[in-house]
This record gives sequence, structure tokens and C-alpha cells, in this order.
Amino acid sequence: MQFSKAWLQEFFDKSIDKINLGEVLTMAGLEVDTIQDLSKLSNLIVVGEITNIEKHPDADRLNICKVNIGLEKTLKIVCGAPNARIGIKVPCALIGAKLQDFEIKKAKLRGVESNGMLCSAKELGLSQDAEGLYELDLDKKVGQLIIDALSLNDVIYTLSLTPNRADCLSMLGIAREVSALSGLPLKNIRNQVAKECFTLDQKIKIDEKKSCPRYCGIQIKNVNNNINLPIWMQQHLEKSGFNSINPIVDITNYVLLELGQPLHAFDQLNINGEISVRRAKRTESLQLLNNQDIKLDGTELIIADEKGPLALAGIMGGESSSVNKNTTDIFIESAYFDPIDISGRARAFGLSTDSSHRFERGVDFNGTLSALNRAVALIIESCGGQCSEILDIKNTLPKRESILLRTKKISDIMGVEIKDSDVKSVLDKLDLKYVDQKNKFLVTPPSFRFDLSIEEDLVEEVIRIYGYNNIPLIIPTSKNEMLAISNNKKSIYSIKSLLANLGYSEVISYSFINKETEETLHSNLDLIQLQNPIASQMNVMRSRMWGSHIETLIYNVNRGHNQVRIFEIAPIYQKIKSDFSEVLMLSGLVYGDYIPEQWSFKSRKINFYDIKGDIEIISGNTLSIETPKSIIPEAFHPGQVAELIIDKTSVGWLGQLHPAWQQKYELKEKSYLFELKIEKLVDLVGKPIKLPSKFPPLRRDISVIVDRHIIVGDMVEEVKSKVIDQVIDFYPFDIYEGNGIENNKKSIAFLILMQDTYKTLEEEEVSNIVNQVLNILQNKFKAELR
Amino acid sequence: MDHLKELIKLAEKDFEGCKTLTELDNAKSKYIGKTGPLTEAMRGLSKLSNEEKPKLGALINDIKKSIEELLNARKDAIQKKEMLSQLENEYIDVTLPGLKQSEGSLHPISLTMNRIEHIFHSIGFDMATGPEIEDDYHNFTALNIPESHPARAMHDTFYINKNHVLRTHTSPVQVRYMKDNEPPLKVISPGRVYRVDSDATHSPMFHQMEGLWVDKKVNFANLKGVVQDFLQKFFEDNKLTIRFRPSFFPFTEPSAEIDMSWNGGWLEIGGCGMVHPKVLNQVNINTDEFQGFAFGLGVERLTMLKYHIDDLRPFFTNDLRFLKQFGDQ
Repeated sequence: MQFSKAWLQEFFDKSIDKINLGEVLTMAGLEVDTIQDLSKLSNLIVVGEITNIEKHPDADRLNICKVNIGLEKTLKIVCGAPNARIGIKVPCALIGAKLQDFEIKKAKLRGVESNGMLCSAKELGLSQDAEGLYELDLDKKVGQLIIDALSLNDVIYTLSLTPNRADCLSMLGIAREVSALSGLPLKNIRNQVAKECFTLDQKIKIDEKKSCPRYCGIQIKNVNNNINLPIWMQQHLEKSGFNSINPIVDITNYVLLELGQPLHAFDQLNINGEISVRRAKRTESLQLLNNQDIKLDGTELIIADEKGPLALAGIMGGESSSVNKNTTDIFIESAYFDPIDISGRARAFGLSTDSSHRFERGVDFNGTLSALNRAVALIIESCGGQCSEILDIKNTLPKRESILLRTKKISDIMGVEIKDSDVKSVLDKLDLKYVDQKNKFLVTPPSFRFDLSIEEDLVEEVIRIYGYNNIPLIIPTSKNEMLAISNNKKSIYSIKSLLANLGYSEVISYSFINKETEETLHSNLDLIQLQNPIASQMNVMRSRMWGSHIETLIYNVNRGHNQVRIFEIAPIYQKIKSDFSEVLMLSGLVYGDYIPEQWSFKSRKINFYDIKGDIEIISGNTLSIETPKSIIPEAFHPGQVAELIIDKTSVGWLGQLHPAWQQKYELKEKSYLFELKIEKLVDLVGKPIKLPSKFPPLRRDISVIVDRHIIVGDMVEEVKSKVIDQVIDFYPFDIYEGNGIENNKKSIAFLILMQDTYKTLEEEEVSNIVNQVLNILQNKFKAELR
Repeated sequence: MDHLKELIKLAEKDFEGCKTLTELDNAKSKYIGKTGPLTEAMRGLSKLSNEEKPKLGALINDIKKSIEELLNARKDAIQKKEMLSQLENEYIDVTLPGLKQSEGSLHPISLTMNRIEHIFHSIGFDMATGPEIEDDYHNFTALNIPESHPARAMHDTFYINKNHVLRTHTSPVQVRYMKDNEPPLKVISPGRVYRVDSDATHSPMFHQMEGLWVDKKVNFANLKGVVQDFLQKFFEDNKLTIRFRPSFFPFTEPSAEIDMSWNGGWLEIGGCGMVHPKVLNQVNINTDEFQGFAFGLGVERLTMLKYHIDDLRPFFTNDLRFLKQFGDQ
């Protein structure tokens, strides 16, 4: 909602200059978006008349204009506007004038001197319209200051209204609010009543009584719609951001702005027979005023004549019955439509009109008739003509139920003791009708307020007028009970910190990805598609994060990074039948160098075991990293991939990005990807803590040769599962294949760490243990001692 | 006798000539070794009379002691010198860079969320999360935004299907939490939210932090108190003030926009209000007994202010040159 201060002043007898409008409106909950003080426009801009035009000798698109600004000598100004022509009057900025961000200086344009600038409305900050020069009315006096000529001694306010305050979508509404907040009384406005000259000969039938509880109509004949409206009305409309269409349409817009009642004028001669307010039929269509053709699906409320739809009720009229400069006879509709019937409708057709905006939020159903009368009076005043009687069809109008407002309730919600007298004063200011019942009030909201239906709504009104800023800040007291902290849960933040300490950078990427990546790299065909994605490459919800992380990788590699380690903890999304599931996942990508290039290390490329080590550090002992048993995702190199297992359940993957993907993404180095269900990681059950033995551990190394396909993990697992009491650790420390070892064999050196809780181990016991280990390896894996 | 006394002088000279501990060891054997002159003299004692024995014995012992002293002194000197030379050799250039794995970092949004959680935790707020693919009921209806309500247009919703959306705010978590827990309750719920909007100042995905406090008496004045207290603690500025502006959210009544004092002006930082009775009724909380307030803050906005970043986009571009600066925050 945009309006000028000068128009608002017309609603008050006393000057509103003393009110800080911006502040008052803001603190009333009517958010002020912009305040534009037009009087700040330079006083070096005057009305100029183009008296002569010559082509610029060196530039096709430039003209050299002679401009009369009321002085003896005309000014020579170079101008490129397509509408520059002899005889028009335009704003002329003189040397030294300051426009928005620049100052006019004497200049040479392609060798021709120019002594000023002819301006568009945009250059003056009056409109967004930049097309050509702003053509002023020809009756403007040359040399007159533009500020005076256009009555720019004014301030324009743009409000960003919340949907509950439909009552402020009009000048009257804003004036009411300013009056309540400032205490300045509203001017008494006399309701105009049109004088009827003939009987209405338009039949009207309301089929949808519930959707259209009130419908007023009138005919006006013999109007002249090819006149100029009074300047004041033109200026009010212009300053509210409305372009002129034709006088009758402009007047209906004017009344919409003034009183908040949308009106629609039909060309009477293009209405065929009876008008009905009815539901559309499935086969019908309508060409709208904006030339958009719409197909109706049978749910829309329409205004129709006997031939078919004339208008989308409350949203937009149709082209066929629209009013133009040659229209002589009109039918004007002023109706109240149920917000539920209009709501969302305009949006469904990609429309947002001033009319639908108001109807879907609620229009004053008691103002239907007076708005129509106001419009008729203005039309007859400007365009002449005679009007019929007004037909006012009323069905069941919304009821305004009385609401009980308890003073104590207000105090309870506010946190401040409030008195009956304070409440009364607010109710009076807001012109709310009430019955005082001591400590409580029975309040009846007015017809223009659609946002007052329960006690809390009235409490808000009281607090709003009392002033949000007048309420103290009080830190509440509550029961001092400590919060429990589980010892069996790692915090996600601690996992993040650990990863950061391991050299990983946390990233946050969008939860959406493109369909192709999801289907191939993420191996997910059961897509969760967005109906209205922001872009086609972000049209499905991701079931994995790898696609996003590869994008991040490419972005950073292109910026010179040779080593990339990133992770993200975020939900991933899966479809489960008709429902959705979200799992919090830790996912990451590692690429390039193992460590950054530095002075005494020879760096090497990252490999599988580097990342496996990191995963082991963050996951503790509960996680095991195993040869895959499930179907391996397409993203992975089939020979360098492991499944992550907790409690015999698969919780994730770790592996090298498949070389085919590496090629496709044109990545120079290998990348490794991992993902891990973080909930499982967070839920750690603490293992019992053992006290260390007093005796030092003994170490024995054994070296065995086995078939090269034997999995080392299986060997370790086997030894550990055959619990030998004194063995406290058993792991490989060297693997060798090649010279000296038979083909298809490998040599593995294991370390056996032994210890007894109660005594130092005797040599005999030690060799006994080593033999037991060897036996296990021989029996199960045909290992030979090397 | 005298030739024995001479030994001290000879030894001293000899020892002086030794540069290393090995040389010194060799030199030592010449005097007090098993075959040295003193040992021999000791052996010769048996041939002497009982009168001379103790005299010469004492002398030999004295000489031996003196030589040992000389030896030890020389040993110390050599060791000292060797240590000095070792130290001299082992000097390094401490200005060379430390050897390390590259530094990782936490995302600034994570840092902010963690900070928020800590601050609210300190006065007993619980933490809750909820689904991001949310049903229509929890995202809208339960929050008093019925199907035809114009407020739905305010939300620029991403739709999955007729009944499911990407949550447009973290408020649905309120509803879920109130369903599962009995009042009084204090909870915050940070998380990802989505709106169909993308430009320099809007991201289709961003983060919100929702706070809810339901109890018998908590009121609007308390809401102001808690919000200001939080912002003061978050920005570590006890002079920071807030301003509430009347506004509209379907799920609160009264509702307010929160402005924060910043650089001499006001800056919008979030929205809040007293929980709408219709919302409380939806989760079967008795509105005669309980009332509560809720507030929502933009995590990106808080982060931008905290770190003086004036652009939203770097949070989602994941440029490591940006992210790694948060390694030591």
C-alpha cells in the first residue's frame, strides 16, 4: 500500500505535520517500507517546452533540442529520448541540479554542447517507468519549478502490510489508525448519495449466496469517458502508484484506494441479458482484461451474463465487457465476496490484483453501498451522465460476535498490571463498541476488522495502543531443575570438532540436487521431487550428499586447492511408500594430497587407509569397517570400498570414487567418499574400563605367508575371537608381496602383545601363546611360518 | 718417592692434552690403571718395613686421590665442551613453519548454532528437532494457518506433494514438542528451513532457531526480557537493546517483530509473540492454566552480524578460503 501524506491530510481538519508518521505507523504494526520525500527534489528542475529539434550530426539516436524555460534565451540540450518532439512540455534539469545520484553539469555530447537534461519520471524518482521523457500537461507554465507544477511538496509512504490488517488497505483505514494512535480526530465525511434518474434495467441473480453475501449494482448512462479527471485525483492516483487507464476505471481505482472497496465497471452495451453470480462451468473460458485467456475448472466464482463469463469475481474483469474511452453506458458492481472464495484463486492463475488482494483479506461489508455511491458521484461530476437506482442484494452477512475481554487476562498476557480505565481508553481510541461490565468488557468489533475474533486479539489491540515499548523487560523465574546429560551419547558438535581437528572443513550444502545425480551417483530411483524447484538442477531431495560434495570439490579445485577434506552433517531424505524418512548422516569427501606440501615432508596422495583411520578415530571401537555384503553404490570403485557396520547393521560406506566418475567430473586425482548414520555413532555404549596391569607387556613378532586373497581382517578377527587370555593386542605391521615370495602369496608380519595381570610371563608361556596363534592361522588360513 | 710425586705433574700435563673422553680414559690407565705406576708402588709396599708401610701407603693414596681429582676435573671439562659443541651443532631455525596436517574448520552456522544452544541451555532450555519434509498439518494448519489463509502466500513454500512441504519455518517443531511433552516446557529447535526465494539476500535454504517457553505465568514482558538477554549474551554486549514492533504471525497473538539496536539504528532480527490459543488447543494444553511465548531468529543473520559478514551467499558456496578462516573461532 502506497500513499501520499497530502492525501492522508485530507482526512483530518488539523495538520498532521506534527505526527512522526513513519514512527507512528511502524509502532502500530503497519510496517513502513520506504519514505520518499518528494520535496527534496532539486529546485533547479523546471518545466521546459521543446521549441525546436535538430538531428545530432554525429549520433543517430541523439537530438539537439531548443528548450524554452521561460527566459529570453532558450537552452540547447542534447537528448536521446525517443519521444522528444516539438511542442511537448517536460521536466528540465538545469546545470547544478542534483538528481538521485548525480549532478547535472555542462557537457559536450559527441562534440555538441548540452546545457542541462530533459528528464523521465524515473529520473525524478516519481515512477519506475523509464520509457522516454515525462510528458507534462500542456497547461503547465514554462519555467515553473517542477516541485510546484507537480505538487511535489509531499511525502510518499510505502507500507508492507501483514495479512491481518486488511482494514488498512485504504486511505480511510490508515487515517483511522493514525487517528487512534495520535488522538487527532478524523474529519466528518458526509456520505454522498447518488440521485437516481431511472429504474435499473439490468437483472441480477445471485446463485452463490454464501460466496457473495452482498451485491450492489447501478447503471449510469450517457457518460463521456474521454475527459481529463481533476488534477488532485490524478495526483493522488499517481502518488499511490496507479497508472491512468481511462476516467471511469481511474475513479473505481480511486474509490478502491480511498475506501478499500474494489469496484468493477462493465460496459453496459456488452452485457447480454441477466447478470448472475455463479460458479463457473468446467468447459467455460474467459479472456481477462490483461488479455490472459483462462480456462475455468468449475470451482471459480464468476460474474456471467447469459452468454457466458464476464469476470472472475473479485479478481479481474473480462476483456469483452471492459470499459474504454468510447464507452457511454456502464454498469458498476460493488460487492462483498467471502474471503475463502477468493483466497488463493488469483495466485492459481498467476495473478495478484488490487481487488483480489483486498477481497481475500476481507473488505468492509458495511461499506459496499457507500463506496458505490461515492464512485457514482465522482463519475457524474467528471464524466456526466445519469444514474439508475441502486440495487442492493443482501444475504447473510458475516456476524461480528461480541468478545469478552477481561482486564486480568490483559495483565496476565502483558505482564503489567492494567486498569479498567486504561482498557476503556484504548477501546475508545480504536472506536470499538463495548459494554463495560467491571473488570471485563463485552466488545463488538466493527465490520472492517476481520482480525478480531477472540479475546487474545483484543489483548493485542490493547497492548499495541498501550505501546509495545512501554512494556518492561522482565526475565522470568522458573523451577530450577537441572537438565540431564546422557553419558552414552556423544554430542554431534564433538564429532564435528574432532573432524575439524583431523583437518576436515565442515560445509553446508543445499538439500536439493538434480535428478540425474540422484539417479546415478546416489543410486536412488525412488525420487522425492519438488513440485516447484527453484532451478532444474535442484529439483529433487538428496538421499546422499556426494553429488553436492563433488560440486564443492570442483569449485575448490578450480580455485587452486590440491588437498580437499570436507564433511557435512545433515539429514538425507528417503521415500518409504507414501511417507518420507530423514536420517541424520555424516558424509564427506577427501581428495588429493595426504598432507599439504611443506618443507620437510614428501607429500603423497591420499589413500583408502588414511580415511579409514580418520573414521576409526571418530567412531571409537563400536564401528567395524568390513568387506561389503550389501549392494555397492554406483559411486564407488568396486575394489576399494568398505561397508561400515555397527551392531551387525550397515550404517554407511567408505570408498574410492569410481574412476569412471572421476573421469566424468574431470578430476585429476582420486577422491574418497564416506557416509555414516550419525545417530548410531552418537549412541555409544561405554565399554567397561580395565585397570592396567603392573607388569610390562611382552612383544613377539611372527611372519607368515598366505594366499594373497586371504583377508587380513579375517585373520585378525579369527585370532581375537579365539580368546587367548594373555594376548592384549594382535595386528599386522607389515605386508609384503614380490621378490622372494611365491606368486599369489603374500607375507604378513603380525605383532602379538602379551601380558598377564598377576605375574611376569615366563618364556615357556610366551612361546606357548605364539604357537597357539600360529596354529590358528595355520588351521584356518593355511598360513606358513616364514 | 719423588718420582711418585712427579706423577701428579705428569698426569696433569697428560690429561690436559686429552681432547676426548676416550683419550682421557687411555691416559688414565697410564697412572691409576691396573698396570700403572701407583698400582705397582702399592704392590711394592709389602717389601717395606712396618714403619715405612703406612707412610708410603698414605702418600700413594694421596697421589692417587690427586690424580683422580685431576681426572674428574678434566672429564667434566671435556663433557662440558662436548655438550657445548653438541648444542652448537643442534641449533635449528625456529622460524621455519611447523609441520602439520592442514587445519580443518567448523562452518560458521554451526558455530552460531552451538553458541545459541549453549546460551539457552544455561537457563534450562531443552533442544528438539523435527522433520524437514513436513506435513501440511504441522507446517500450517496446527499453527493456525488454514488452507485458504493469505499467510500461506507469505511463505513461498516448496511443495513435495499435496500434503507435504519443505518446512518453511522451525515452528512445526513447537507443535510436535508440545504434543510429546507436558508443560511447563522450555525448548529451542534450530534447523534448516526452506523458501522459494533466491537472490543476494535470500537463500532457498537457510537456518532458523525457534524458542518456546510455556508455563503458568510467562508473559509478554518476560518475552522481551528473554529475547534481550539472549541477544546481549550472544553478542557479548550488555548495552544492546531491543525494540518490539507489532506484527502478525498466525501462530502468535500478540505478535511482534524484534528489532535490535545496531550501529545507531534498528535492525530486524526475528519475530516472536505469545503462543496463539488455537495452537495451544491443538496440542491439548489448557489455555486457562498455561500460556507461553515463542520466538524465531535467523541464524544466518546472527552469524553475519557476529562475524561482520555482509553477504549471505558465502555460507552456501563452501569456498575453503572462506570456511578455513573459522578454524580458530
